[in-house]
Amino acid sequence: MHDTGHHDRRLQRRLRESPEFRAEFARQQREIAAIDAVINTLDELRTERNLTKARLAREIGKNEASIRRLLTAPVNPELRTVVALADALDADVRIVPRKRSAARRKTQVA
Amino acid sequence: MPWGVVYYRSADGRVPADEFLDRCPDKVEATILAVLEAVRRAPPPAFSGGGKWEAMHGTMGGYYEIRVTGPGRRQYRLFCRLENGTPGELAARGFPGPQIVVVNGMAKPSGKLFSDADYRRHVRRLADEYLSTLPRRIAV
Repeated sequence: MHDTGHHDRRLQRRLRESPEFRAEFARQQREIAAIDAVINTLDELRTERNLTKARLAREIGKNEASIRRLLTAPVNPELRTVVALADALDADVRIVPRKRSAARRKTQVA
Repeated sequence: MPWGVVYYRSADGRVPADEFLDRCPDKVEATILAVLEAVRRAPPPAFSGGGKWEAMHGTMGGYYEIRVTGPGRRQYRLFCRLENGTPGELAARGFPGPQIVVVNGMAKPSGKLFSDADYRRHVRRLADEYLSTLPRRIAV
């Protein structure tokens, strides 16, 4: 069986050696997780409500292909489409401020 | 169980994906690796990768690309395939489980397109060679 750890070692090495890489990697992880969560939650709500993608698309005046693509293939969704889909699924889109860390508060005070 | 991520290695020992990532700016490389990490934890058909992981079509059907915009709006692309199958099939390829196979990457100025010759020469030719070997040849 192959040693399949090359990628993991590369990632760990880069995280260790470059502060810029480490900061951007963490930022991207947060951004990706947030986008994935929005899209996956919309699709879960659609499934719970027994709505087809075609029906959902009609409800917000979009063509079926664009909604199918948004919910199944990774594409960058327009915010207005996300908001319209959430509304059609009787849900809201919200920005929730994180609890500010002590370190960040200190930086802002100084 | 998360998928593995492996990099194609050529017969002469080169690892084109490593060479590409080494040439990327730090922030571009960090983004690419963050997408790979997200996708390995929720592989297709799940939505993952924050919109930066896309299935390709036409002559590149069967491939996936990670799309990242770098400094000066330069466009960076990493090309991957998926290795999945029965445990026996995966073992014959040398893998303990399903894998994302990173083949190579390319970069271009904003507004330019890669030609089919670019895809053939820098991606499909390598992947065809990779798929013709058992067990698969990967970076270690």
